Amino acid sequence: MIVEISHFLTILATGLFLLVSYFSLFFKNTKYSSNLVSRTYSHGFLFLCASFLIYVWLAITDNFSVQYIASHSNSELPLFYKISSIWSAHEGSMFLWIVFLSVWGFIFNIRIKNEQILKSNTIGVISLILVGFLLFLLVTSNPFATILPVAPQNGADINPVLQDPALAIHPPTLYLGYVGFVIPFACAISFLINGDPEIKWEKLIRKWSVLAWVFLTVGITLGSWWAYYELGWGGYWFWDPVENVALMPWLAATAFIHSLSVSIKSSNLRIWTILLSISVFSLSLFGAFIVRSGIIDSVHAFANDPDRGLYLLGFISLIIITSISLFVARLSIIKSTGKIKRLSKESFISINNIFFGALIFSVMLGVTYPLFYEYIFDQKISVGAPFYNAIFIPMVVIACLFLFFSIDSKWSRRLNFNLLTSPIVMSVIMAITLTILVSYLFKTTNFAILLAMFSGFLIICRYLIELILSKKYINPFSLIAHAALGLLLISISFNSLLSTERALNIKINEFEEYRGFKIFFQDIKVVKNSNHDSIKALFVIEDQNGKVFNLSPEKRRYLTRGQITTETAIFITPFKDIYMTIGDQLDDGSWIVNLQINYLIRWIWISASLMAIAGLVLIMSRKNI
Amino acid sequence: MNPIRKKRIYKILLVLAFSVSGVSLILYSLNSNLDYFFTPSELKSQNIPSDKRVKLGGMVMKGSVERISSQISFVVTDYESSLKVIYEGIVPDLFKEESGVVVLGFYKNEIVYAEEVLAKHDENYMPPNIEIKNDS
Repeated sequence: MIVEISHFLTILATGLFLLVSYFSLFFKNTKYSSNLVSRTYSHGFLFLCASFLIYVWLAITDNFSVQYIASHSNSELPLFYKISSIWSAHEGSMFLWIVFLSVWGFIFNIRIKNEQILKSNTIGVISLILVGFLLFLLVTSNPFATILPVAPQNGADINPVLQDPALAIHPPTLYLGYVGFVIPFACAISFLINGDPEIKWEKLIRKWSVLAWVFLTVGITLGSWWAYYELGWGGYWFWDPVENVALMPWLAATAFIHSLSVSIKSSNLRIWTILLSISVFSLSLFGAFIVRSGIIDSVHAFANDPDRGLYLLGFISLIIITSISLFVARLSIIKSTGKIKRLSKESFISINNIFFGALIFSVMLGVTYPLFYEYIFDQKISVGAPFYNAIFIPMVVIACLFLFFSIDSKWSRRLNFNLLTSPIVMSVIMAITLTILVSYLFKTTNFAILLAMFSGFLIICRYLIELILSKKYINPFSLIAHAALGLLLISISFNSLLSTERALNIKINEFEEYRGFKIFFQDIKVVKNSNHDSIKALFVIEDQNGKVFNLSPEKRRYLTRGQITTETAIFITPFKDIYMTIGDQLDDGSWIVNLQINYLIRWIWISASLMAIAGLVLIMSRKNI
Repeated sequence: MNPIRKKRIYKILLVLAFSVSGVSLILYSLNSNLDYFFTPSELKSQNIPSDKRVKLGGMVMKGSVERISSQISFVVTDYESSLKVIYEGIVPDLFKEESGVVVLGFYKNEIVYAEEVLAKHDENYMPPNIEIKNDS
């Protein structure tokens, strides 16, 4: 019964959002109509929120007459996971996606004054998108479907690998990022509809875009961290299609934020900024399509459903075609005035955007090429890490060199190139020395890794020298974000250079040695828990310096689904992780244990978090830039 | 032709040359880094050089899993044809007999030497191509 109320409220909200878009896009923009739009939107939002909260309540109270809750939750689950079970599969996570979309619109609605000329149409565009997704939810993936007449006694349980705090917050964060780009997108469309080149829409949405970018960054980082400790493969990035479709909006958003800063200062790059705002949102939607249609075979994909795929593809194409035609129709009025001076900050940002564009193109190619290839040649292929490494390493390195020289550049002024200034010379010398030192100490001649490391050192040394020696003002967010990029490159390079792994074959009470670590298999026992049984091993490990620590990897079997999961055991030190997973027992009584030593892996996530912090610094800064 | 127009044409040609060479570089590296996906019967019928990395997908045959020390071997089948796989290391949690698996490795003398063994998160997952054959 309660679920019907929730269902009804969502339908009601859909109707209201439809009205909002009608009012805003077909009524003349007057004070009256913009008030009407704003209020109607708020009511639609209220109903949708109420509907979602009721749904959360249903999940908390174990209402298994709701089919979705019955198949993804369980009365034994802790409260936290009962709530997170809502976004553990397609229908519920789509619901959350839509609610977040409406939240962004709502905050925009209350933060921006009704007098703002673009507001009404922006809200209208957001509402139209909401209607499209709500119809998708209600028609193809209804989370409100019930099991009648008799509800099951208990639910089927959430997938155990998803019972994890990082994964409970990873999807919401990522979704907040994805749908956050609806604000710049809707604002750009509203600007195009309005057609007055004097309106500074870029200024309006700077902080909104950066906030969405922060969510996206944190969401991707959380996903990477989760995959590392939960899946037991030990890596931080796998170039899996589903990861790639999250990376593309991130790359586009990063390019967009850069290009936006140019368009705010002058009207340069305006066309490009609008095009990027359309791309970022389209790529976010494209990601939703790839993940939810099952068109691409990935380890993270939801179960296949062609109907959903078709609807999403149609809807996304409609959005892209409409916005691009609008863009083309208005091209003449948004032409850039003035030229970009050579070697000015604008020109460096344009170069940055070319690199980002090329990276997005490559990832897009890697994701979609297998589809076309299979269609044309009837042969399944996949594109893996070697391709992305071959593209990303050289491009990022060259982009970093441009970044290095852009630090001196100024807005709309030509940079007086002087290669012999002390910060440049000193940081180049330092970076070369450090790289040679690394190559000597770790006995490596791997050119790609050393090159990536060099560019990382170059950026960090440069910023350090500028900070210590010169009194020049550097934007704090720009400093943090770019130094984080340097740190990221160094961490990734060290990680791929030094990390090792080995599968050991070890009996209880036996010693084994690996890379100076003495590993003693002390104990293994069966532990019974409320929702799972587990085999828990105890290893005592002594490192080169005589420091002793315990590792107890686990293998769990969850009772409701019979699913087996690995719980990794990780010993964390500042510069390396000792990472252990346990496999199966062999006939002779010994166990297979996988041991990895992962260098600087924490620093990869720290770098990514620093980038997010840089975004927050920008948002917090009082200066309205 | 007036000099301004001439200059513009040169500019456009330059941009075109850059983007064409950029795109062809990307395409070239794409082509040299592809993994081909086969079912056991496809892999057997095709002549694959042993230094080319391939992906093999199928179901793990019942009763075929054998372990010797830290090495594991099993048979991947598409219910028409089957192939032996040898792998050194720990197989993923969802790896079990009669369930879907994807193997990345090299094909030599009717045996696939695996570098990576993947099983799917989703317990309802079936490797492509097999679902249909299974039904008919």
